[in-house]
Amino acid sequence: MNLPKFAAATKTMLLVVFGLLLGLNLRASSHREAPLIANDPLADNTDVYAFRSPDNPNTITIIANYIPAELPHGGPNYNTFGENIRYEIHIDNNPAKVGDEITYRFTFSRVNQDPSTFFNIRLGQRNLRTTYTCERSIDGGLSWQTIITNGEVPPPNIGPRSIGSGVGLGSDYETLIESAILSSSTGEKLYCGPADDPFFVDLGGVFDLGNLPRQGGAASRDGLAQYNVHSICLQIPIATLLRAGVNPAPTGILDGNFVIGIWASSSRKSTRTLKTGGGYDDGGTWVQVSRLGMPLTNEVVIPIGYKDYWNSITPYDELADTVLDPFFYNPELALYMDDSKFGGAIPAFKPLRIQRKSLGAFNFANGNDGLYGLKGSAAVAGTALDDAIFGKLLLPGAGKPRSVDLWPIFHTGVPNFPPYQLATGKNGNPLAAGKPFINNFLPNGGDMLRLNMATPVTQRNDPAFSSLGIVQAAVLGLTDPTYASSAALQFIPNMDGFPNGRRLEDDVTRIELQAVGGVALAAIGLWYDDYTPGGSPVTQNLLNVITYNTGVSKNDKPFKPAFPYVATPWAGTETN
Amino acid sequence: MKIIFKQLLILCAMLGGMQLAQASSHREAPLIADDPLADNVDVYAFRSPDRPNTVTLIATYVPLQLPQGGPNYYSFGENIRYEIHIDNNPAKPGDELIYRVEFKTVNEDPTTFFNIRLGKRNLKMVYTLYRSDNGGQSFVPIIQNRAVPPTNIGERSINSSLGLGKTYQQLVNESTLYASTGEQVYIGPSDDPFFVDLGGIFDLGDAPRQNGLSRDGLACMNVSTIAIQVPISYLRKKGAAASPVNILDPNYVIGVWASASRQKVRTLSPGKEKYSGEWVQVSRLGMPLTNEAVIPIGYKDYWNSITPYDELADTQLDGFFYNPELALYMDDSQFGGAVPGFAKLRIQRNSLGAFDFGNGKNGLFGLKGSAAVAGTALDDAIFGTLLLPGPGKPRSVDLWPIFHTGVPNVRPYQLATGKNGNPLAAGKPFINNFLPNGGDMLRLNMAVPVTPRNDPNFSSLGIVQAAVLGLTDPNYASNANLQFIPNMDGFPNGRRLEDDVTRIELQAVSGVALAAIGLWYDDYTPGGSPVTQKLLNVITYTTGVEKNDATFKNRFPYVALPWAGDGVCGGKVASINAQPEERSSTVGLQAPQAVMSNFPNPFQSSTTLNLHLASAAKVQVLVYDNSGRLVNTVVNAQKDAGDYQMQVELTQQPAGTYYAVVLTDGKLMQTLKLSKTN
Repeated sequence: MNLPKFAAATKTMLLVVFGLLLGLNLRASSHREAPLIANDPLADNTDVYAFRSPDNPNTITIIANYIPAELPHGGPNYNTFGENIRYEIHIDNNPAKVGDEITYRFTFSRVNQDPSTFFNIRLGQRNLRTTYTCERSIDGGLSWQTIITNGEVPPPNIGPRSIGSGVGLGSDYETLIESAILSSSTGEKLYCGPADDPFFVDLGGVFDLGNLPRQGGAASRDGLAQYNVHSICLQIPIATLLRAGVNPAPTGILDGNFVIGIWASSSRKSTRTLKTGGGYDDGGTWVQVSRLGMPLTNEVVIPIGYKDYWNSITPYDELADTVLDPFFYNPELALYMDDSKFGGAIPAFKPLRIQRKSLGAFNFANGNDGLYGLKGSAAVAGTALDDAIFGKLLLPGAGKPRSVDLWPIFHTGVPNFPPYQLATGKNGNPLAAGKPFINNFLPNGGDMLRLNMATPVTQRNDPAFSSLGIVQAAVLGLTDPTYASSAALQFIPNMDGFPNGRRLEDDVTRIELQAVGGVALAAIGLWYDDYTPGGSPVTQNLLNVITYNTGVSKNDKPFKPAFPYVATPWAGTETN
Repeated sequence: MKIIFKQLLILCAMLGGMQLAQASSHREAPLIADDPLADNVDVYAFRSPDRPNTVTLIATYVPLQLPQGGPNYYSFGENIRYEIHIDNNPAKPGDELIYRVEFKTVNEDPTTFFNIRLGKRNLKMVYTLYRSDNGGQSFVPIIQNRAVPPTNIGERSINSSLGLGKTYQQLVNESTLYASTGEQVYIGPSDDPFFVDLGGIFDLGDAPRQNGLSRDGLACMNVSTIAIQVPISYLRKKGAAASPVNILDPNYVIGVWASASRQKVRTLSPGKEKYSGEWVQVSRLGMPLTNEAVIPIGYKDYWNSITPYDELADTQLDGFFYNPELALYMDDSQFGGAVPGFAKLRIQRNSLGAFDFGNGKNGLFGLKGSAAVAGTALDDAIFGTLLLPGPGKPRSVDLWPIFHTGVPNVRPYQLATGKNGNPLAAGKPFINNFLPNGGDMLRLNMAVPVTPRNDPNFSSLGIVQAAVLGLTDPNYASNANLQFIPNMDGFPNGRRLEDDVTRIELQAVSGVALAAIGLWYDDYTPGGSPVTQKLLNVITYTTGVEKNDATFKNRFPYVALPWAGDGVCGGKVASINAQPEERSSTVGLQAPQAVMSNFPNPFQSSTTLNLHLASAAKVQVLVYDNSGRLVNTVVNAQKDAGDYQMQVELTQQPAGTYYAVVLTDGKLMQTLKLSKTN
């Protein structure tokens, strides 16, 4: 395997190399991401997270956030979950059957306990007090079992007078959160309520034509700092999530039977009729108005003309859809990382240049062929790119260069199969077998967050824990002698990070931008253009991509060590 | 009067003051809070300082817009009718003039997720402005298919050639134009001109904050603004003299309100929405804060759905003005102890030894039909039962007319000046915006001259300040004649952008308008000075936030440019929250807990503060200007020990000296002098 040589050479660069997992495009997960839903904040799904619970590793925690950019002091009618909306979390675990295996549905109702005041909380009474029902379906939505009724949603964290004092609720906000953590008869733990928005990104910079990190010495800003969201948090035993019939003890840490796909949505009824004198009636069939799986897909991959459409379909609909695929094969963001296109237009992305002549042969710039020239050749025989293995899934045609990296990250998951293994052990041939580091392959729909539940947890206080997620796992797998000295499958810290699921800490904006910059290709041995055969793959281009940073790399509040993990919502009197 | 009143007069705010607390109308009712595009935030109406033969009407919509709220930035919505309504004829219920704006969305480049790229704009809102001068029977387009300026996304999208290649001011100028009928119009984004400590006031009335600093909860937020400058000759009542007969000419009174309506039926299909059916009003606004802090939650949606003219017949809402909830917190026999922030505001329970204005009491009703009220506005022969509708409705004489009828220039609604101790006697006139032709409207007498904004007498207390001058300043207080007193053109005689309506309305709930006409506070003793401690308390009450965060412009559209998404308002500097660097602590016990330095100094727009914190503490870093005004709260949070870098941006502030103060756990640790140069 010649590992020592490789390992040493790559020592620095390895920062670099990562997995193909990293996903795509940039920016603020999905806040106000499509025109219609931006006007319906209550139904706007902002982010989805799924990770193995660090303190309870036989469970998975799934978090779906709604209502973007809630102002903590946005009174007198503070944000809360909406009535007449179905909030749903969907789980797929069976690639042989199109559609959800498990669905959780949350519906909310609001009550005014004291209609005589304009205050939200007064003398122990709450207005817009919100409670929920959670139903679960384990037959693809055919039948539903109610697992929680009258679940309490904590009030908005208005301030010390409304929450703590005797003229308010006379409680402490942490106690309100604790008492809103419920257990269902079917074994789930639940929390529905306000939380600090766990996402972090320089919104103002990135949407000012990609000014990320800010240029000219300006400070980057977390555009979501001090904003809240409403979170639906579910902790579910892995045994519940496993496909029927799967042995509950995984065969290995990348056991393909332990892969689940997760997405969230919200739906409204098709007809709303306003009543004179205030109020409205909703009727008709349910129509999906928002959805989210992978972060940032609808924000920066899908262009404006298709965003509303994207929100309206399911990942399973995407199996048949062909309108959206090109945005993954040839993403808009890649235009700004390519000097033959608009590479000069976004100075902030200067460190990110995609491979146009990798290994002297492969051009991944938009409109070029990428690896398509290898189609049907002996070189790809037996790899994931061989039509005999996965059909045309990964090499669908000419002129679709990112079908081999961004496409599987977003739309199929990544199989533990050559070429999708680390360069470690490949001896210079990217198509050879290398060191495994991911398997979240579940080609049963489009955009979902895909998590292999067999992968062990990296503790949050582990010195090796990194917000670069599986990218960091790739770096370690290529450079750290503990992992890089053999091509054998072993647990590498952060293999449980994005895009193998998504932890609250994961810096998905940075990872996805680096991925659009071709870093996933580099991780499997498709080096940057300034690589010279026989030289070190740690070229300047590679270092540029690796050291790229958006300027905002962590949340403005620390996460909690226990369920629901999200931080306490900002108080209305606390922000500045 | 005069001398005696000298200090107190501050107080005698008149009755112009008015009611209730808090943030005009942002997210004020449950339903509309969930429909931000149709949410009417504020209405302003004032005689234009630079063009006094016109009145400027401003209606703002879409509250709490984050400057950085991309990629689909906020704007007006399609399928919504945005309207500004004007009433000028008390003899005819209904609007005399209506301006209606409707929008269409254009995506000029559907291939990008950016809002602006290479001169092309997505979600570009194009409007048509209609006018009806026959009560809404027919509408005529007076501006057609004009684009509103884009969101002020940032330097690259607006100024650079990759974007639009213009300054934002240029874009605003291009969008400021004349309608075919002569009105000047600006429709587009702006800074939210309102200011209020949202976080404090809605935390059970904590304004000003009792522990900690008050904060403008709308600072750094934008709104979508419709501004129309209309010649007075279009607005005054038909048949009114071309020149007013005096500065309180009743034929020059207009009522102004704004609304948003949607079509009755919305039908969703995958990725689309369709609207049909008749139009239903979903939001309205006239007087600030009515639906926010007067109307309780159970009636807010209903309030939004009706018109001021519907209120003539409605009887469900009147009670909230006669006996307002806020008054409960200013009355020690009710919940007076529950809101310490309002401790200085106590209403009259025994004014002149006779009159109780506590909720449920009779106020002046005991005088009904007596000789004392004969010939006054409280005489049934004059305005019927309008102002003394019954017992147990104490605020029918002050809050009710301010909000629902306007205030006539008829006694007792004149300043105490010249009354010789009898509040029901004739006094010095100072307001006439009486238009009892509907409920909640902003009522403006257009005959009242303009107070220039740079006049030393200009005051954000509006007509309250006019009352103070009319009672104390020898130029005005030496006789009971009608004369122009500065700020008679201020709220609640219309509403200027600068007017501190939250403060004025809270003072009015606590009875300052009653005091202004001679109904003194309970601690007044006959023969003594009316300037009692209770009166001084009310007068010196402030909410803690007294002005807008951006400076208004001196010409149309007057509102400030919207905050930029890439600027100081576009999020928190990330480094503040970065992990503190490890530092070996050689600092001994005697060393101060916090040490701060800054660089550069002097600076042009921003400087960086370096703070070393020896142990965890609640840290406040505050920047004050030379006159002691807080201009920037840099940090106010619990922080771990370590070193922090904080950028202080004073781009919007004039050159001069500023002071950065660091406190730990409330204790002053250090003050740094900062010099901003041009």
